[in-house]
Amino acid sequence: MKLTSRLRTIGQLFRHFARQGKWFMIPLLVVLLVTGLLLLATGGLSYVAPFVYSIF
Amino acid sequence: MAAVLGISGGYHDAAAALVVDGAIVAAIQEERLSRHKNDPRLPFRAAAACLAHGGIPAAALDRVVFYEQPFDKLERVLVSSLAVFPASLRQFPRAMGSQVGDKLWVLDELAERLGVARDKVTTVAHHRAHAASALFPSPYERAAVLTVDGVGEAVSTSLWRGEGTALTPIGQLEYPHSLGLLYAGLTAYLGFEVNEGEYKVMGLAAYGTPRFRDEFARLLRVEPDGWFALDASYFGRLADAELGFGPKLEQLLGPRRPPYQPWDLEGSERDRRYADIAATLQQVTEEVMLALAREAQRRTGADALCLAGGVALNAVANARLLRESGFAHVFVQPAAGDAGGALGAALLGALELGDPRPAPLASAALGLAIDPSAAHALATELGFVVTRADDIAGDTAELIARGQIVAFCAGRFEWGPRALGQRSILADARDPDSRERLNRAIKRREPFRPFAPAVLAADAAQYFVAAPNAMTPFMTTTCPIRDEHAGALAAVRHVDGSARVQTVTAAAAPALHAVLGAFAERTGVPIVLNTSFNGAGEPIIASEVDALAFFLGHPIDALVVEDLLITRAPR
Repeated sequence: MKLTSRLRTIGQLFRHFARQGKWFMIPLLVVLLVTGLLLLATGGLSYVAPFVYSIF
Repeated sequence: MAAVLGISGGYHDAAAALVVDGAIVAAIQEERLSRHKNDPRLPFRAAAACLAHGGIPAAALDRVVFYEQPFDKLERVLVSSLAVFPASLRQFPRAMGSQVGDKLWVLDELAERLGVARDKVTTVAHHRAHAASALFPSPYERAAVLTVDGVGEAVSTSLWRGEGTALTPIGQLEYPHSLGLLYAGLTAYLGFEVNEGEYKVMGLAAYGTPRFRDEFARLLRVEPDGWFALDASYFGRLADAELGFGPKLEQLLGPRRPPYQPWDLEGSERDRRYADIAATLQQVTEEVMLALAREAQRRTGADALCLAGGVALNAVANARLLRESGFAHVFVQPAAGDAGGALGAALLGALELGDPRPAPLASAALGLAIDPSAAHALATELGFVVTRADDIAGDTAELIARGQIVAFCAGRFEWGPRALGQRSILADARDPDSRERLNRAIKRREPFRPFAPAVLAADAAQYFVAAPNAMTPFMTTTCPIRDEHAGALAAVRHVDGSARVQTVTAAAAPALHAVLGAFAERTGVPIVLNTSFNGAGEPIIASEVDALAFFLGHPIDALVVEDLLITRAPR
């Protein structure tokens, strides 16, 4: 994992939400990103349900 | 002049497609190489295979285009999860884990693992990729484009005006209103696997009567112009990724059918009821697609319609669109589902870099070739009898005419879910015994799933109504069998009198074309049964190793690899 490209992606993500005027979602995003980074770091998420591919 | 790699993946049917100087060089689904059916993982094997086939090192790529916009997707998942809170409570951590732990970083991962500069990796919107995959490989300069699937980022259904290299959006519908999710939810309710069992529902529908229209009117409210609203409360607010539908659907239609139970459409009242539900679903799907197509024609004035998205793989609905929508031509490329998004993404990238549209798609043989030398060596080592034939088409036709079942490999494998004569199992379409043996010993399909015929394109009209047309080379539609041939073609005739016919030209599938010609010389009939070269639940064969492994484990009579005839040693 290259930290600089990940940081750039995070920057782009915040700009995406800011551009759309959805500031209210940014606190939620921060929490999710911390969780996501933990998942990446621990190699978690070994299972997703079948319908997850249709919906999410 | 550019080299562009398109990528789809992360959900189901991952694929890669390589476009060089505007020409489609290769397009491969990951499942063919990973041997994992509907493989959703990012398609690094397929990407490497496309690049190797094109002789393009990854570092020389001008662009890599992913078929979806991850931030838009994350936004939709977040907003829709919050909108149905607390129904989404149980699913939320898993959905967010999938998004933030994995999918958010997809462009970084592509750059790093492909070895491409990060700024060369871009995205296009999911339905624009679908629309591009439908229009640009089509033979039409001007066409209406309709894309219908489960959901992309937020859009589930979109209409486009296609002209030359331009795609202009003219209408769209957003999640949760989705024909694809309706079909997927009912597929799960009927006990089939989502993203795989939809074909089975389509086959089952022909055995039922659409007598649940009142109940379906509650599930889906359809406007006269085709736009519709799905009542998500019947689908658990689409918040249950385990199931795909909610208790309210079972209150409306009765208890779900447990999966993996054998079907008995003659003896079981319960199974006939499920067939009636499938028939109603199919009828509603067709009517919505028809209304959308008519709206597309009204808005564009075009005489050709190009379709993509998972729902465009509904061959029965496509036939009805050609018959009743008012369009003179309907085109569906062979990988119309999510895999096709890779091709659309690559084509959009190439156009943006100034390359021209590709030539109309003449053949689905966009995969990897098979190696007869390696097959010869391996078959000999396994103790099979290997003969290099002077007239392999004639020998194959002779075996089929004698009632034998032949696995047939020729050239590069197919793009999309259909076997089109490059990796096919062939049998005599006139012989119900061949069909029975094929089904019992090899395919193990449900009894209501039909087999398909391949016919010489020049003779198709004699046997099938409305064939050939722009879809028949790719088996993305069905055609009625003419009454006078219905008895003779019993092995490939569905209960509704139709067949998912493939019309074969020398340009599209030269080896199968030669077999059909030789079969016609011997029998007077230019038609063989053509089913995919794979076992139940497996991806279609790709390499000579896959083919010989299959031949070892299944009772087919002969295996053809290019000009090699491989048979079992007499006992």
